[in-house]
Amino acid sequence: MEEVRPDEVSEILRKQLAGFEKEVDIYDVGTVLQIGDGVARVYGLSHAMMSELVEFPHGVFGMVLNLEEDNVGCILFGESHEISEGDTVKRTGRVASMPVGEQMLGRVVNPLGQPIDGRGPVRTEKISPLERKALGVIQRQPVKEPLQTGLKAVDGMIPIGRGQRELIIGDRQTGKTAIALDTIINQKYSHTEKAKREGVKPVYCIYVAVGQKSSTVAQVVDKLQQEGAMEYTTIIAATAADPAPMQFIAPYSGATLGEFFRDSGRHALVVYDDLTKQAQAYRQVSLLLRRPPGREAYPGDIFYLHSRLLERASKLSDELGGGSLTALPVIETQAGDVSAYIPTNVISITDGQIYLEPGMFNSGIRPAINVGISVSRVGGNAQIKAMKKVAGSLRIDLAQYRELEAFAKFGSDLDKSTLAQLLRGSRLVELLKQGQFVPMPVEKQVVSLFAGTNGFLDEVPLEHVARYERELLELMDLKYVDLLGAIAGTKDLGADITEQLKGILRQFTDSFKATIKI
Amino acid sequence: MKNLRVARRYAGALMDIAESGKNIDRTAGDLETIASTLRGSRQLRLLTLSPVVSPAKKAGVFRAIFTGRIGEGTMKFIDLVVAKQREKHLPEIIEQFALLRDEKMGIVSIDVTSAVEFTPSQEKDLNNELERYTKKKVRVRLTVDRAIKAGLVVRIGDTVLDASMRRQLELLKARFLEGGPSTN
Repeated sequence: MEEVRPDEVSEILRKQLAGFEKEVDIYDVGTVLQIGDGVARVYGLSHAMMSELVEFPHGVFGMVLNLEEDNVGCILFGESHEISEGDTVKRTGRVASMPVGEQMLGRVVNPLGQPIDGRGPVRTEKISPLERKALGVIQRQPVKEPLQTGLKAVDGMIPIGRGQRELIIGDRQTGKTAIALDTIINQKYSHTEKAKREGVKPVYCIYVAVGQKSSTVAQVVDKLQQEGAMEYTTIIAATAADPAPMQFIAPYSGATLGEFFRDSGRHALVVYDDLTKQAQAYRQVSLLLRRPPGREAYPGDIFYLHSRLLERASKLSDELGGGSLTALPVIETQAGDVSAYIPTNVISITDGQIYLEPGMFNSGIRPAINVGISVSRVGGNAQIKAMKKVAGSLRIDLAQYRELEAFAKFGSDLDKSTLAQLLRGSRLVELLKQGQFVPMPVEKQVVSLFAGTNGFLDEVPLEHVARYERELLELMDLKYVDLLGAIAGTKDLGADITEQLKGILRQFTDSFKATIKI
Repeated sequence: MKNLRVARRYAGALMDIAESGKNIDRTAGDLETIASTLRGSRQLRLLTLSPVVSPAKKAGVFRAIFTGRIGEGTMKFIDLVVAKQREKHLPEIIEQFALLRDEKMGIVSIDVTSAVEFTPSQEKDLNNELERYTKKKVRVRLTVDRAIKAGLVVRIGDTVLDASMRRQLELLKARFLEGGPSTN
């Protein structure tokens, strides 16, 4: 056996460490005056910058948030009990930032970009600051491409465009996260060869979990992995057990990573789940830093906190590559109170909201979207023509149905047209129901809604609507793939396609009705 | 938590008066007397901290101790501090006054930590080198700390010039654990 000589080893070590020369290391320091509850006041650090990263002993990092006459207020990204008064704090000379790159995809990281999935370090080439000014008017263009969520109710009536900010709002346990996750899972199609042929560009997803249970985050990761969605998704997690400062910066990390994709001409979707918890974390650190409290004890700049975050969602002009960053912020309300401080703030910042109701959820209408008060202010421009045609009357039909529904409960005699409207409405409500984690491609949604809005479902008993839809789509998949392809390819319902579709539906409806009678 | 804002304001006011009366050195001497008395007497320290004793009584005590030992101007200043119930900040006010005086006279206070003791000639070299570096007069405070292993650490205000072996080892460690925390 060959022996390794000690001098050989030291020679290799020397080579490996070449360039590591002994020189004077210059840095600025301060002294901890006060510490506790995730914030520290530091004396010194006279040249510290706003939102600069500072290093405390034991490898704990902090961020400068207050610059005062005689001290600097910092928030801590680690445990504060290891640090004591009088400890030395070092400046790092860089503002809080995180590594960005494709290498982040498929990983679970904390808001500083450090991996927490136990799969080794993430090696990226670029580092971006967490806090960046949103783009101006010149760099943007109106939203024009659709971001398909795969949910009939959303894509049909509350369409979301790439670069839009659409709020998902509702009480606890109404399926807010489910909508966000379905949207992420549905982006899988955008990474396929088929989507490439149809001119649909891939969407990279970022899921930011703020103040959630670690077990919930683990479930989300697991589900996304099962669905094969982790390949194009990054999860940024600041769980309930993480320090409040971590929860506060988590959405900014998500935006920073999303901007990396956007600025390289690609499309990104970032879900902030949820901003209520982030606002609470920010309220905590603000109060600890002795900033004056305002309404509901939130600090005065809580509106700016959310507006500067959501302003970073944008659709870039073609000169800048035409990339986009779509934001889906989530807000949890208490007992349906949308007029509380944070919900009203975020509603006014975003380009529309998807409102979820516990009552509808419990009566089995899932996704429990209240179509009446859910809106999308810009997504309509992004909707494909085919969907516009079939979903145009959907909103009105449903609105009329809701109005009449109350009367119908009295069981009084109704005229024929009213009965027809009630019949149509109940079929549409049934048709818009959709299971979790089964997003539907847009061409199938079009076929499904076409059947509903053109009255083919009116003669089908309510309890058979789900089966009707399932079998119809199976039939389309088996025999009329070309037609589906034509809808997806042209993105429109031409006269010939419409006629063909009507023919198929007539035939199918007749044969379906026959199966019921037996 | 030290209340530096208060200390700085009182010290600044005292400095202005001392400057206009051209007796900065004398005032500094007076304050040093008070500081050493405070350091020497635990009872006096407790008195300044006690909220129970009335300001009038405290002022009486200070007068009884310091009359004749310090200048009348400084005595009046102590009266004012006591009347405003800021006597517990006296040590910090005195500290801030010394800093202001250094600033006025262009003296920089520098802390130097070394692993081994300096010889007198090394000390002189260090002094000259630091004066050349800061372009100011320096007052060097030397301490020996074996924990830094070798080399020396110079602290000028908030800036640290770290040429210690400990720091080099820390940086080396960070390099080995690449991806771990590094300050460079």
